[in-house]
Amino acid sequence: MSNPIAIEVDQVTREIDSGTHLVKILKGISFQIAHGEFVAIMGASGSGKSTLLGLLAGLDAPTSGRIFLDGTDITHLKEDDMARVRGAKVGFVFQSYQLIPTLTAEENVLLPHELAGKGGNGSNRALQLLEQVGLSDRASHYPIQLSGGEQQRVALARAFMTQPPILLADEPTGNLDTANGRIVLDLLIKLNRNERTTLVMVTHDKELAAYADRVITLRDGLLVSDEKRAA
Amino acid sequence: MSQTFTMGAARKIAWREARASSFKFLFVVLAVAVGVGALTGVRGFSSSFRRMLNSEARTLMAGDVSARIFITPDPAQQKVLDGITAKGALLTQITETVTMAAKPGNPIPVLVSLKAVDPARYPFYGEVVFSPKQTVQQALCDECVVAAQDLLLRLGLDVGGVLRLGGKDFRVSGIVEKEPDRMTGSLNVGPRMMMSRKALSQTQLLSEGSRAAQRFLFKLPAVGSNVAETRDLLKKTFPDALVTDYRETHPLITRGLDRATSFLSLVSLVALIIGSLGVAMAMNSHLQQKLDNIAVMKCLGARSGQIISIYLMQTLALGALGGVVGIAFGVGVQVAFPTLIERYFQIRPEFFFDWASVFQGLFAGLLSTLLFTLPPLLSIRDIKPNTIFRRDMGGSKGTWRQRLKQGRVAMACGALILVGLGLLAGWLAGSKLEDAIRLGGSFAIGLAVSIAVLGGFAWLLLRGLKRLAPLTRGSLRHGMANLYRPGNQAEAVLVSIGIGVMFTLTIYLVQHSLLTEIAESAPPGMPNVFLIDITEPMREGVTQLVNSQPGVEKGVELIPSVAARMTHVQGNEVAKMDLKGFGRRFLQTRSITWSDSQPKGTKVLEGKWHAASEMGKVAIGQDAALSLKLKPGMVIDWTSAGRTFRTEVSAIFRQESVRAGATQEFILDPGTLKGLPVIYFAGARVKTEKVSQVQAAIYGKYPTISIVNIADVLDIIQEVVDQIAVVIRFISAFAILGGVIILAASVAGTRFRRIREVVILKTFGATRNRIATIFSVEFVLLGLCAGTLGSLLATGFTSVLLRRFFTEAEFKVEWQAILISILGSAVIANAAGWAASARILGQKPLAILRED
Repeated sequence: MSNPIAIEVDQVTREIDSGTHLVKILKGISFQIAHGEFVAIMGASGSGKSTLLGLLAGLDAPTSGRIFLDGTDITHLKEDDMARVRGAKVGFVFQSYQLIPTLTAEENVLLPHELAGKGGNGSNRALQLLEQVGLSDRASHYPIQLSGGEQQRVALARAFMTQPPILLADEPTGNLDTANGRIVLDLLIKLNRNERTTLVMVTHDKELAAYADRVITLRDGLLVSDEKRAA
Repeated sequence: MSQTFTMGAARKIAWREARASSFKFLFVVLAVAVGVGALTGVRGFSSSFRRMLNSEARTLMAGDVSARIFITPDPAQQKVLDGITAKGALLTQITETVTMAAKPGNPIPVLVSLKAVDPARYPFYGEVVFSPKQTVQQALCDECVVAAQDLLLRLGLDVGGVLRLGGKDFRVSGIVEKEPDRMTGSLNVGPRMMMSRKALSQTQLLSEGSRAAQRFLFKLPAVGSNVAETRDLLKKTFPDALVTDYRETHPLITRGLDRATSFLSLVSLVALIIGSLGVAMAMNSHLQQKLDNIAVMKCLGARSGQIISIYLMQTLALGALGGVVGIAFGVGVQVAFPTLIERYFQIRPEFFFDWASVFQGLFAGLLSTLLFTLPPLLSIRDIKPNTIFRRDMGGSKGTWRQRLKQGRVAMACGALILVGLGLLAGWLAGSKLEDAIRLGGSFAIGLAVSIAVLGGFAWLLLRGLKRLAPLTRGSLRHGMANLYRPGNQAEAVLVSIGIGVMFTLTIYLVQHSLLTEIAESAPPGMPNVFLIDITEPMREGVTQLVNSQPGVEKGVELIPSVAARMTHVQGNEVAKMDLKGFGRRFLQTRSITWSDSQPKGTKVLEGKWHAASEMGKVAIGQDAALSLKLKPGMVIDWTSAGRTFRTEVSAIFRQESVRAGATQEFILDPGTLKGLPVIYFAGARVKTEKVSQVQAAIYGKYPTISIVNIADVLDIIQEVVDQIAVVIRFISAFAILGGVIILAASVAGTRFRRIREVVILKTFGATRNRIATIFSVEFVLLGLCAGTLGSLLATGFTSVLLRRFFTEAEFKVEWQAILISILGSAVIANAAGWAASARILGQKPLAILRED
């Protein structure tokens, strides 16, 4: 990778007109994340961390400022172009799993591969990923047949399907009990190391954040601290 | 867009999601099927009927070539007929007329349609069926007649009894059950009778100038004859004859069939459109429920086009499945049709699976489904992937530019839908391009206006309910609130059921208003008894007889009628004039009359009425002058009974009041028509309770005069109109059915929300009865509102139609029909809503609450 910076956020703000008043969610955020870094974004509820994650994924556009993903300015990209960038560069893990209920575990994992129009048979990789998350025997099961922890593990496998350089995780253990949360976190970190992705994880849990190389803290839409953790 | 995704994953996701929503989609399939079924049924039947007309042409005509005229052939014309038979063709003549028949001893006669044939030859093809079984020669002996069952019932006669006709008694030898050429014969205005021509000649029914229809049937030799040549010769010899041959279907029948098929196809298209509205609603609701999935897919890199392809596949699959099911319905409609029309067309065309009709139905189903689901499909582009994050905050309203852009897309979709529907309507209903464009455009605009008006009223109504709801309590309040809950598509349901009710009720109201107008609103003094076929020698006697009868309110007015044909106008041949539509009647022999002076109730618009002493003058009715582009001073040449004469237009007049003879368009001076065969007809105003007595008195002395009681004619008109209305209402009921299915689909679409509601209500102590009442209030209110809307619009439409096309008809509000429509809609809506809410009441609370 010639460009050492995976993600760059430059004076980004985000405001929403709710109809009755203007809500300022982010009030001017700037930072850079290098390739391979594991960054935790923390903050209380309403601090803007999920919004920031959404902007990083190009799921929304900032009101002002610029965002670069792996050197590409995604700030004003059209919807379809942004979708292509997401498909190629970003893996996503949601708090509430967000599996497609009418697809099996294997098919859910395979979905990004199919959406990106990649040739070849992706099934091998999908099954490999499911094995890595310990669900190779549940490949043909539907989400409704899986527990919460198992669904999140499938979501993890899906996130790594296309080998994205950047992985974004929004409270990945937020809906899980402690034991399952532990399993998922371990898998996330292990997969991250194996695949050498840049991992940005939103969390309000300090224990989870302790695993990160760096912790960015938001409060009321502002970046209040950016700490590197000792290796 | 990747090939891999389009063909594989999209189909898989589309199929899995459809399977998971099969209950909701079932109703959608049915909604499309109803419209496709009506369309394929109508067109399939029309196709079978046409096939039958073609394959049975000879039988239906009972000959190879037929020429129908209303005059007796002159010597030159007879010579031509003899010439055709000299070449080996067989000829038989059929006389058809109306007259009076009675049972001896019972002075009150009945108006009958009489057909006189040559038993030795008739029919050339097909079979006449009598009861008891006998040959035509046996049944139609010189002293015999056969009659339809209903005539014998009215006269109180049996087979073997005696019937009086044209002053002579005949034995009833049998009941005529089937005649092969009944459809191609003259119009029936009374029960049917048949006799031999020899028997007819024994009566005094046919006199010079009589307007009986003469039909000449030819059977051409198998070898050495030319149908086209024979036909052309007959057309040249009898210019105003209706000449047909077995190679083409009867023009009057096929014209009627074409018009009926076009009209009923459009009615079916309305049903299909309603079904397509249902598909659009269901898809919209489905997409709302799949917002998360769509957002997630966009997060994972799916483009809008890829996601649209999933739901487009679902839409097309629903449309196609609905089409296939609809074809099965269509078979049922096609089989049912002959039963609906059997009173007037005693034929059962062989069932024929018409692939063209099937294709049309399928194509129409798919196209209309696709058009209506365009807006929800295109809305996928507007679903933001960050929806999964920002659900709780609510979405941004968007800038005015964004909203304008979305509005433009919606308008473009709306325009595309209208154009598409217009093209579809034009394709189904118009045979020529200009007709197709005109019909399609009118249909699309009419539909758009109806939906817009219905939608507007529905919106107002629901807003009104929203304001009213807080003023109510308990189940009523809950039920009303359900109508404007998120996801409840009450407006769309109101529009779809409303259209169906509006359509069906409009047909009924127009029919009822017209017949009521004819029956009740005859202006004072208008004749209600008409006498036809009064000859010159009878004139004075009839006048004295009628005027002396008790109950006759106004003296009888006799109008002379001479049969003549216009040959030239200003030296130009009438046959070469560009006469369109009803104006083509001037190509035929017309009834012209004379008057000593300008008749009462007429107003001269141009020129000056001619004096009685003038010769060769004619006053022309306003409509005729317009069609023929006539002005005072212009010259018209005529021919009648072998004589030609010339007239000059003296005046153009307008009929200001209704009188006997009011339909006479050409009124000459008394001298010009002297010597020509003349028949008189008369009208009299008789008290209703004295009509039978007057009929009996006239028939007793003048048995050859036909006496038409308006009340009897109205009965016949009523029967024919009823029959037509039954067919139209049968097809338009499909529109109501479509609307009802949409209601059921809408309820099914909100099933999970309803289940949660039931569970929460139960948790807080509501009984099943209480919950059932809440839902029933919702469904009944929907039905009442839809029925009210539809009835209001039907009333408005009927008023407009009557004013536009039937200016004499007065419109009255039919409260009973409106009430039945409203209540009926409520009952049907309630039934449909509960059909779609099956098993909701039985849900156990904990199972549902635990899912959270």
